[in-house]
Amino acid sequence: MKVTLDWLNDYVNTDGVSPQQLADHLTMLGLEVDSVEELFQELAPLKTALIISAEPLPDTEHLSLCQVAVGDETHQIICGAPNARAGLVTCVALPGTVLPDGTKIKKSKIRGVHSYGMLCSELELGLSQEHTGIMELPVDTGHGLSFIETLGLNDTLIEVDLTPNRPDCTSVIGIAREVAGITRRPLSRPVEEATLTIRDRRFSVDVESSELCPRYGARLISGVTIAPSPWWLRKRLLAVGVRPINNVVDITNYVMMEYGQPLHAFDFKNLAGGAILVRQPRNNETSFITLDGVERPLERDTLLICDRDRPVALAGIMGGLNSEVSPDTTEVLLESACFNPVSVRKTARRLKLATEASYRFERGIDPGGCVVAMERATQLICQLAGGTAETDMGRDLYGGVRPLNSLTLRISRTSALLGMTFDAETISELLQSIGIRTKQKDPDTLWVNPPTFRVDLDREVDLIEEVARLVGYNTIPTSLPTVHMSYPEQDKNRQLRAQAREFLTGAGFSEAINYSFSSSEHPQRMDISTDDSRLEQVKLLNPLSEEQAVMRTMLLPGLLENVQRNVSFQKTAVRLFEIGKVFTPTGHDLQPIEITFLTGVLSGNRHGTSPSLHSKPAPVDILDAKGAVEYLFEGLRLSPDTHDTAISFQVPDTAAVEPYTVPGQCLTIHDQTEQIGTLGKISPVIARKFGVKQDVYYFDINFDRLCSETPSRKNFNSLPVFPAVKRDIALVIPNHVPAGDLLKAIRETKDQLIESCEIFDVYQGQNIEADHKSVAMSVTYRSAQKTLTEKLVEKSHSKIVNMLASRFDGSLRQG
Amino acid sequence: MSTDHPKTPIMEQELRTLEHEASQDLERIDTANGLEEFRIRFLGRKGRFSAIMEQLKSVPKEDKPRLGQLANTVKKQVEQAFSDKKDQLASGGGPTAAQATAVDLTLPGRRPERGKLHPITQIMTEVCAIFESMGFSVAEGPDVEQDRYNFEALNIPAHHPARDMHDTFYISDSILLRTHTSPMQARIMEQQDPPLRVIAPGKVYRCDSDITHTPMFHQVEGFLVDTNVSFADLKGVLSVFTQKIFGADLPLRFRPSFFPFTEPSAEVDIACVICNGKGCRVCKKTGWLEILGAGMIDPEVFKQVGYDPEKYSGFAFGLGIERIAMLKYGIDDIRLYYENDLRFLSQF
Repeated sequence: MKVTLDWLNDYVNTDGVSPQQLADHLTMLGLEVDSVEELFQELAPLKTALIISAEPLPDTEHLSLCQVAVGDETHQIICGAPNARAGLVTCVALPGTVLPDGTKIKKSKIRGVHSYGMLCSELELGLSQEHTGIMELPVDTGHGLSFIETLGLNDTLIEVDLTPNRPDCTSVIGIAREVAGITRRPLSRPVEEATLTIRDRRFSVDVESSELCPRYGARLISGVTIAPSPWWLRKRLLAVGVRPINNVVDITNYVMMEYGQPLHAFDFKNLAGGAILVRQPRNNETSFITLDGVERPLERDTLLICDRDRPVALAGIMGGLNSEVSPDTTEVLLESACFNPVSVRKTARRLKLATEASYRFERGIDPGGCVVAMERATQLICQLAGGTAETDMGRDLYGGVRPLNSLTLRISRTSALLGMTFDAETISELLQSIGIRTKQKDPDTLWVNPPTFRVDLDREVDLIEEVARLVGYNTIPTSLPTVHMSYPEQDKNRQLRAQAREFLTGAGFSEAINYSFSSSEHPQRMDISTDDSRLEQVKLLNPLSEEQAVMRTMLLPGLLENVQRNVSFQKTAVRLFEIGKVFTPTGHDLQPIEITFLTGVLSGNRHGTSPSLHSKPAPVDILDAKGAVEYLFEGLRLSPDTHDTAISFQVPDTAAVEPYTVPGQCLTIHDQTEQIGTLGKISPVIARKFGVKQDVYYFDINFDRLCSETPSRKNFNSLPVFPAVKRDIALVIPNHVPAGDLLKAIRETKDQLIESCEIFDVYQGQNIEADHKSVAMSVTYRSAQKTLTEKLVEKSHSKIVNMLASRFDGSLRQG
Repeated sequence: MSTDHPKTPIMEQELRTLEHEASQDLERIDTANGLEEFRIRFLGRKGRFSAIMEQLKSVPKEDKPRLGQLANTVKKQVEQAFSDKKDQLASGGGPTAAQATAVDLTLPGRRPERGKLHPITQIMTEVCAIFESMGFSVAEGPDVEQDRYNFEALNIPAHHPARDMHDTFYISDSILLRTHTSPMQARIMEQQDPPLRVIAPGKVYRCDSDITHTPMFHQVEGFLVDTNVSFADLKGVLSVFTQKIFGADLPLRFRPSFFPFTEPSAEVDIACVICNGKGCRVCKKTGWLEILGAGMIDPEVFKQVGYDPEKYSGFAFGLGIERIAMLKYGIDDIRLYYENDLRFLSQF
């Protein structure tokens, strides 16, 4: 809502209150001021000018050579306007001035004659569409004066960001009322009260549903002459951003801004049968042309204003082309009504047609104010457009207006809810300052009658809010609640997420957050097969773009896009992870299943951004991905090494479990019952589809599953007292035997003396048979009871060696 | 005393010689390699000391304790001298040794690579920790929500103009992407009785995208319900929070606003951290920055979950994490949050 200081002062005196103070007052009353600006500042350099002489410029058809007095100076200016003549006082823009449309005025030369400036039309100044000639100011206006001051254009615009609960403030008077309240100054309105007591028999009004149209007032005004509005009126409309059209239309707009009541003027001669009927469409009425010339489809529940034969307006939204006021209009039927907010909102939404009128009706206008605003508009039309209207004569159907409700307000309740002690007197005074009447009911209770314009006040708590607002939120004290002590349960999933984040950042991964929605193409781009549930996506009905059309079913595509972005900015060593939800549809009109995944990507140099001084750059490989996951699992105490019941890695039987991986470079991650994740190398073909040309490895884990696993207990074991003995084995085995199986076999012997075993080298090449590899392992033996003798160790060790050799077709490496 | 067995004096003599030579050799040694050679020569498994000890087997029984003890003493002395020399070399030794082992200390250290948490996570953690320290528990809910919880239960019926404040992504007529984390108010109150002290962090969605809006962002909703909770309490708790997260001296103000699910409703402003309240582009020359919305829970919301509004009162609040991160870290473009550019992430 926009108001100007000058306009506001018609209703409340703001002397002594600076615009900034006023803005602060309003903001602290809940009417948040978005901006305070001086109006028409772009016109500040313009001056009034008197044309001393105007001669036709030789060899031109329309141009005049004018000598123009601007204060003490005289300028020579060439002007093309037909009304440029000696004695005219107009407006001049001298060289260097920039007009509102961006035109910069320069010295120029036409037919060899110099011109030093420009005489301006209203259009050029952005004041109206008028451009048939230069502005004509009253002859007694001096020259060389500030143009905006002379025209009274200097004013301050205050823009208020209104909340939906304050329809009463969609008007200058509404804002003035709040100002009057806070400054305790009187509020005066041009028309305070009005009623239509006499039925005008020249026209009829009928309303089919008083629920959809609680009130409909109309008046007929004759003898109207359509013409441009006077300057003061146009000026105010321009200031608040309404385009002036003609006097009658401008007056309806002006009164809407002033009182908050949308009005409409019909050309009476175009209303068939002199009838107004408020109704919904008949079967054959499927579209309607609004006054902006657009044909609008009608639905069954669209509320229309009709004459005897046809619709003439979309109720509360926009009038029709067929009945609009035009230059030859002489009789206007003025409408001032109250429409159902939901009905107006539905239609406006559906037609995507938001107007100043619909904005107000949707929020709820003052049902008590229709006739008052209409009286004001009638007076102005009579005054400014030469109309006549019979006093108190018209039509007013108000069958749907609810009776005024009376509320009670408890002083004790107000004090308790706000945490501040009030008395009845203070509360009454506060409420009365903005026109809310109160009466003492009993020592703790007030009767309160909210005025009709405060449609938002219908409960005690609404009044308590008014009290809080008027006393000032910052006057209310500050305290801390007294509460029962309690111990909030910790959400395990959330705790685990925090831990996982810690471990992964410790492992060099940075955290990514991608949008929960993505392109519907992502799974296909990952080669996800047609029977995979990840192709079933939750679709948005109104996405912002194709790239954000569905809820994601996997995190990997987003991370691959992140890799692409980083690589393109020369950050080629990328380690990113994301913990986020994926969404699986469950059926129409049902909430999807939301599952949290933990997904990470690795690409580029293993040592990240570390200087190559210490570690030779080397690209990451799948064991880096596996290591990161092992590191995480160990941190979460789910490590397969320490926790033989929980999680395991498996080499899948099929070439690739995930279609987007390189065959043979994919591991599955399992808990005791099912697969909970995978890790591997992204197929270069897929990576390239995301614009990534370097190798990318990933891991992808169902984090919710991980949260349901039981971590190994922290259990103390006595420190060993006896020394350990280490023995190495170098076993040559066929290439196809996984080295990990050797370790597994050693562990499975359950030999009590074996404390640990590890692989420390895998070698192929010289001295090793073709298709074979040498796996070097180290086995640590220790007894809890005694120092192991050579003999005991040898006994266990040779068993192991023999077992491995025979089981894996191996031989001890020679030399 | 016994007559000396021929082996006895020889062994004794050899031990003394070894002790003398070892000490002389050690004097000359000035490199780690030299020291290792020395260790092998004298103390190694096949070294001189072991060779002498071999003879212990063949000396007469009665000499064994004495010679054994002597051997022990010599060995300890040589070992001590060896270890002293080792320390000396390690700590710089003589001038030549210092040059041989010099380290250029201006070279960068070997630093383990560490990743960074997303700034949103960092602020989210900080915000939650402040409320958790005040006894609030944390609850999370679905991102894809029912219209009922997102709007209806919060006193925002269909066709209410307040829906304009939420540009909503719809999945179907009654399923949508939550536009705020406030649905958790209704979900929790539906299941639990007061007293309640809960915060609900999470992602929220609005179909709006420009330099100051992303279609997804993060919020923390919080509410406290009990008997006798007042607006003054709301002010107290939110003042504590604001001062904890932005610093104790920061001026703040409460101003009336409107949310359909609170009454009275408030917005909380802090003095602009960019211009210190003097007025700048970020605060639109007001000197104030809005950082959270709050209010006393509307009786209508209580009625919908079956609470008696005469018995219970409470407050609720909601704050945007992106905005707090922007103000705290000086981030000027909200879109940076979701590009996951390491040049951005590594700054926090």
